[in-house]
Amino acid sequence: MYTTWKLTIASIKMFVRNRQALFFTFFTPLLIIVIFGAIGFDRTPTISVGVAVQGSIDPSSQQFIDQLRQVQVFKLSYGSLATERKALEDGNRSVVLDLSNNPLKGLVNPNNAGTLTIYKNAGDAQADTVVSIIGQMFDKISIAQAHVPQLVNLNVQEVNAHNLKYIDFLLPGLIAMAVMQLSVFSVAFVFVDYKEKGILKRVLATPVRPYQFVAANIITRLIVAVVQALFFIAVGILLFKVHIIGSYFLILLIVILGAIMFLGLGFTVSGISKTTESVPAFANLIVFPMLFLGGTFFPVDSMPTWLQYVSKILPLTYFSTALRDVMNKGSGFGDISFDLIIMLVWSVVLVALAVYTFSFEEKRG
Amino acid sequence: MDNIIVIENLTKQYGDFTAVDNISFAVRQGEIFGILGPNGAGKTTTLEMIEGLKTITSGTVALDGHDVQKERSVVKSLIGVQLQSSSFFDGLNLLEIINVFAAMYGRKVDAMHLLDLVQLSEKAKSKIKELSGGQKQRLSIATALVNDPKVLFLDEPTTGLDPQARRNLWELITDINKQGKTIVLTTHYLEEAEVLCDRIAIMDHAKVIALDTTANLIKQSGVVSSIVIKTDREVATEQFSMFPGVEQVIAEGLQYRLVTSNPQQTLPTIFSVLGRSVVDLQLRQATLEDVFLKLTGRDLRD
Repeated sequence: MYTTWKLTIASIKMFVRNRQALFFTFFTPLLIIVIFGAIGFDRTPTISVGVAVQGSIDPSSQQFIDQLRQVQVFKLSYGSLATERKALEDGNRSVVLDLSNNPLKGLVNPNNAGTLTIYKNAGDAQADTVVSIIGQMFDKISIAQAHVPQLVNLNVQEVNAHNLKYIDFLLPGLIAMAVMQLSVFSVAFVFVDYKEKGILKRVLATPVRPYQFVAANIITRLIVAVVQALFFIAVGILLFKVHIIGSYFLILLIVILGAIMFLGLGFTVSGISKTTESVPAFANLIVFPMLFLGGTFFPVDSMPTWLQYVSKILPLTYFSTALRDVMNKGSGFGDISFDLIIMLVWSVVLVALAVYTFSFEEKRG
Repeated sequence: MDNIIVIENLTKQYGDFTAVDNISFAVRQGEIFGILGPNGAGKTTTLEMIEGLKTITSGTVALDGHDVQKERSVVKSLIGVQLQSSSFFDGLNLLEIINVFAAMYGRKVDAMHLLDLVQLSEKAKSKIKELSGGQKQRLSIATALVNDPKVLFLDEPTTGLDPQARRNLWELITDINKQGKTIVLTTHYLEEAEVLCDRIAIMDHAKVIALDTTANLIKQSGVVSSIVIKTDREVATEQFSMFPGVEQVIAEGLQYRLVTSNPQQTLPTIFSVLGRSVVDLQLRQATLEDVFLKLTGRDLRD
């Protein structure tokens, strides 16, 4: 016990003093959070609407333009018909509304009904949306002028009190990713390095049991994983006002289970890698696809069905899903028990694989 | 003297390759025992089987009465080991490294005292990468002493060191030996074996081909010394041949090389016969180099 404790302390010291390890466990994920959080993928997309005008704008056109301005998704730009159409052809506008002949006099005087020409590129779904929004605007005016009663009133109520944003989605996925990277890479690199340099052999020449040495390294990573999770949650709360709804105890439980699962993978990688140079090859082969298919950056549901099947065997998927459900929806132990069971199965498989492949002694060919 | 290590019929096989072939010898309590041989002779494999680091294909090793295979952890607690590569944890300073190794034995040590012993106390707060090759080897010896071992194993301790660092390390090894610790070392430096070791086992091609004290090895091998003299007048080679012990005379002008199996008898005769005619005299003692050459027909450095 004394030995394991002392080895753990030494292992933590080594981890904290290893700048490279700190960079990858804290700085890289932090950078991703800050950049993706700042980009804000969930900000409403804007649609560029060109307004072709010539000479003076009559009051009816002005009134229409004022109404267009109220629509938040529209970004208006003005110019001659020729320049606006050129911009449309270059893909800088979704639609161009031709107001150059003041075609909207009918809004003031029904007897003067005119035609508004809208230019759009064929097959542009965004442009179709604009056309239908503008159509509705005119319909509303026509209905009002015809004094026809409204048959159905829309009653829109906002129910999602949490108002989930992309950063809320991203944060749990990123914590899962960071814990995976830590567990796989820091173990694989360190142990292959120890093996290559003969340090494991030197350790084996003492009465210390290999499991004590391995345990010290595992405990270190579990502590770092918990620190990682709390650090990124703190960043999310302080910088992006992320709301954590579920229980922190459950979050940390998932993080520890996820870390154990991927530590198994890390030891497996260090078992099959003969040199430190081959570590990134093996590790990335497994880890890299998971970054994109494991529900870190985009939801698994948004993928094509066949990819979803792939995604649904990956351990990271269940790790990030469980974490997300607890953090975003406040799911309890029962709600995520399926994810936990799959993670547990993966842990058993990967740890067994690690025990099978990893050995303290160098294998002589 | 008691034997502290007894090795019987020790063999290590990797598939078809026999790295160590049925060797037997004993190491005495308190001596510095050397295993000398060229690279690939099986020295390190032998050492690592004794240390319990490599499995034994057949044969037995008993260390202080404990079977190395059956009582591995007892044996490990009795020995100190320096491996060929002296790499340690990069992130720790020397004091911390010593303390971690002590912890692996479940002990607490005065780390500073150990560093002092290997003359590294000034580097106590340094990291491994700030040490020279000789300093790394001395640290390696310090970590091998944390458990106050009965036997210290040194695997090619001075390989790659400059002559000054090598001499420093020899002094350290001798000092440790004087404190009563048995030392077993491997080397492919003949000079090192001659200077340090009380007894030497010469290994070649997985076998021990000779084992004795340095002096006996040279004597028993029948390898002789030669005396090179210069005289101020010509001397008939027949006259030299009649001197006791002289086996061969090679003359080059006024310089004569007398190959002798008994220089103690040859020398006085030279002076009594030639007296002041001898202007210069060199005695070339046979070395382990000559012994190795005679035993294997090869130079050790091949």
